[in-house]
Amino acid sequence: MRAFEKRLQSFEVTETSHTLAAYRSRGGYGALAKALRSMKPADVTKEVYDSGIQGRGGAAFPMGRKWQVVKPDDGLEHFLCANADEGEPGTFKDRWILENAPHLLLEAMAIACYAIGAHHCFIYMRGEFDLSRRRVEGALEEAYGAGLLGERILGTPFSCHVVLVRGAGAYVCGEASGLLSSVEGKKGYPRNRPPRLTVRGLFQKPTVINNVETLSNIPWIIDHGAAAYRALGTPKSPGTRLVSISGHVVRPGVYEIPFGTPLDEFIYEDCGGVTGGRALKAVVPGGISTKVLVAKEIAGLPMDHASLDAAGSSLGSGGMIVIAEGTCMVRLLQVMLRFYHHESCGQCTPCREGTGWMHRIVDRIAAGRGAAGDIDRLIHVSHFNDGTTICGLGDAAGYATVGILDKFRDEFEHFMAHGRSRCGGSLA
Amino acid sequence: MTRIFLNGREIEVAADTTVLRAALDNGVYVPYFCWHPRLSVAGNCRICMVEVEGKGLDIACNMPVSEGMKVLTDSDEVRAARKAMMQFLTLNHPVDCGICDKAGECTLQDYHFAYNGAPSISAEPKVRATKFHDLGDRILIDNERCIVCSRCVRFTHEVSRSKALGIQGRGDTSLVRCEEGRRFDDPYSDNVIDLCPVGALLSRSFLYKARVWFLEATPSVCPGCARGCAIRIWHLRADRRLQRLDPRRNLEIARVTPLDDPAVNGPWICNKGRDLAAIFERPRADQAMLRGRPVPLAEAISEARRLVDGAKRRTALVSSWGSDGELAAFRDHLAARFDVRVKPDHVPQPGEIVEDDILIRADKNPNTRGARALFGERPVAFEPGTDLVLVWGEGFDYSRVPAGAKVVLLGSYLAPENGAADVFLPISVQTERDGSYTNSDGIARRFEACFPPGETIAHAADLFAAIGGRP
Ligand code: SF4
Ligand code: SF4
Ligand code: SF4
Ligand code: FES
Repeated sequence: MRAFEKRLQSFEVTETSHTLAAYRSRGGYGALAKALRSMKPADVTKEVYDSGIQGRGGAAFPMGRKWQVVKPDDGLEHFLCANADEGEPGTFKDRWILENAPHLLLEAMAIACYAIGAHHCFIYMRGEFDLSRRRVEGALEEAYGAGLLGERILGTPFSCHVVLVRGAGAYVCGEASGLLSSVEGKKGYPRNRPPRLTVRGLFQKPTVINNVETLSNIPWIIDHGAAAYRALGTPKSPGTRLVSISGHVVRPGVYEIPFGTPLDEFIYEDCGGVTGGRALKAVVPGGISTKVLVAKEIAGLPMDHASLDAAGSSLGSGGMIVIAEGTCMVRLLQVMLRFYHHESCGQCTPCREGTGWMHRIVDRIAAGRGAAGDIDRLIHVSHFNDGTTICGLGDAAGYATVGILDKFRDEFEHFMAHGRSRCGGSLA
Repeated sequence: MTRIFLNGREIEVAADTTVLRAALDNGVYVPYFCWHPRLSVAGNCRICMVEVEGKGLDIACNMPVSEGMKVLTDSDEVRAARKAMMQFLTLNHPVDCGICDKAGECTLQDYHFAYNGAPSISAEPKVRATKFHDLGDRILIDNERCIVCSRCVRFTHEVSRSKALGIQGRGDTSLVRCEEGRRFDDPYSDNVIDLCPVGALLSRSFLYKARVWFLEATPSVCPGCARGCAIRIWHLRADRRLQRLDPRRNLEIARVTPLDDPAVNGPWICNKGRDLAAIFERPRADQAMLRGRPVPLAEAISEARRLVDGAKRRTALVSSWGSDGELAAFRDHLAARFDVRVKPDHVPQPGEIVEDDILIRADKNPNTRGARALFGERPVAFEPGTDLVLVWGEGFDYSRVPAGAKVVLLGSYLAPENGAADVFLPISVQTERDGSYTNSDGIARRFEACFPPGETIAHAADLFAAIGGRP
């Protein structure tokens, strides 16, 4: 692996490395003390803005710009939510933080609250996460006990309370506005914008929602300064990011890498390459909602937002899926569409009806009953699902479908012509 | 004010409005399902897509206007998106319009012709959902027809506030349902039937009773309480009257729906108003009588006149269900010779909602205010020596008639008192005459006749003239 200083995975994971004592021994909560004692809220926001850090949840929106919208002293109540509802298939990097560095998240949230003038914040966590829950609950107890959260933190006038909210398990609850509806006790339906959530979010108050990994970079930025952060990564995508890699890869797991690391280098050198010595067929670079790239497209492709965009895909939520030669893309799309169909919240027309429609068409093809016009129909439905929906789920379903059809149309045509897969229908 | 360009035309609109409102108010129709002027914006049906130059497609119902924005409501892109939305909406919809109660008034049906009109491009079998699921005693839902616009749900959260309805499940298996263990027993429940843009919410009392194109609506006023909500009374169209089948159906109220009157009830009414048929269609009294002996109407009138002329102390109990015109007729022809008291014809029944802060008023009579304006507010009582009591309408306890006093009764329905009265005169009901009521806020609203009165039945106003007029 290329040598660089890790920011998030900077310590060895042990039985106790998630505890307050261990976190403190690594310098933990120093950034909070520094922010509260020597910086004004605006200074914190400026540092974050200058660091150029972008959101790690999928949309890659600059974090500092989001914070700037909320004026700490506008007299309104503000809220912060950490989005710990990591549900994009293939994506499991936030869980690493929740399980191994819960205090990092809590420290980051306290600093973020200070910056945006919030005194109540929420961690919205996927209900299925059990170890994460236990670790975060434990960390909350420790932090409150040590005066790192609660009233008059570290003896300063600043107070901040963190509440852990657990979802009941719906993909859309990881969508920022669906998350807020869920925290408010309503059905996890995403909301229409405008208004933006930074203007009217949780309980109609200005709200900042940040991904767990995004937030977790804050203490480092405060400790070391924006310039140091920018020293890693690329000019447009500074810093490092966590990537969770799975699929047909020898060493799946969560890796911290600097932006700009070449994709093939990452797969072959860091992660040991494709399982069973097979050839690489394709890569889903950032969770299944990002367009699939074929082997030749990733050669030397730097992993940063601009390069991935230029390649017609995106870094998304950091969930990379490696697909070996021999995998049936019809079956793969079928599995993906089953997911979207199942997770569509059902609120808006194109997604509610379209995801099911696409799923059924692909089901039929995969059952050997494909019919003339199916591919065009899929593209038609994808097209009208993309950009006409309330939240990104509908877009993603269309995007993923068109991505696979674009690159593997011949496989679908073969399946339809012969009633069976060219690859034996295998996902293994 | 904000200046926008709507299909190239420059218009000025209120700064806090949306593109949808701006378009509708300026004569440009943008289709909508989930949007409703009296409910919050849900923005879920996605049929109201418009194109904003430089920004692409977005929904008009949630889009605030901004200075100089250029909106296209009928570009190729907009048309294609609308057509696609109609494809999605009808994908799993049974399209059994032939037997659907909403056929003829269904937005989905209308929009299909207007914006799609093409056969389905889907080869998949439709997703089935529950048919005729029981939501409560009054309403069924056909989930296959539901387009999940959430209007009904928002209504129960925002207007009636019972929060009775929600949406269960996800995706294309979403179902509008009552909360577990609850029933949809909201006193305003039936509004969701009108509110539903499709035939998903069905009225048990109207289901399969009539095709709406055989009906017509007469504007009217609900007499159920002093709110006097504006309503429409639906009945067979004149040119559709039955001759050979049971002709009584010609005089039936098929259904009652609200008539949007912003000053009185907005677009809603309570369920009591929906049930007016039960109030009006009771067994009618159509025979004039003298102490229970049937006589021609003219004979009963002259006897009434004789009794009035011959009495020394007369008390009249006038009906708070009488129209403004009828009350004025009484004032003009008879009031001077009577001690006049306004009588409530109806009081709250056991179990009935007495009053709420939505529409329902405690006074269960439509024209108490109109009557009191003419005759004062004194309660029903009799001066000593009263020897004649004229009772107009229902709701009077006859044991209170002073001993020895004669009774002249004007009524519309069969009742034991009719036969006991010295003179009984059958009179028309609201649905048989024109008039107006003045509601508790002092707002007068007109109603019109839907049915002709029977030949042996008189209008109260005419009777007052006949009894009290100078010879
Ligand atoms: S796009 Fe899908 S998931 Fe998102 S709001 Fe619409 S129906 Fe729900
Ligand atoms: S709801 Fe409308 S489109 Fe659907 S069956 Fe009824 S009339 Fe037809
Ligand atoms: S039942 Fe009717 S009003 Fe209610 S959500 Fe369905 S379509 Fe909309
Ligand atoms: S009317 Fe605008 S989305 Fe339904």
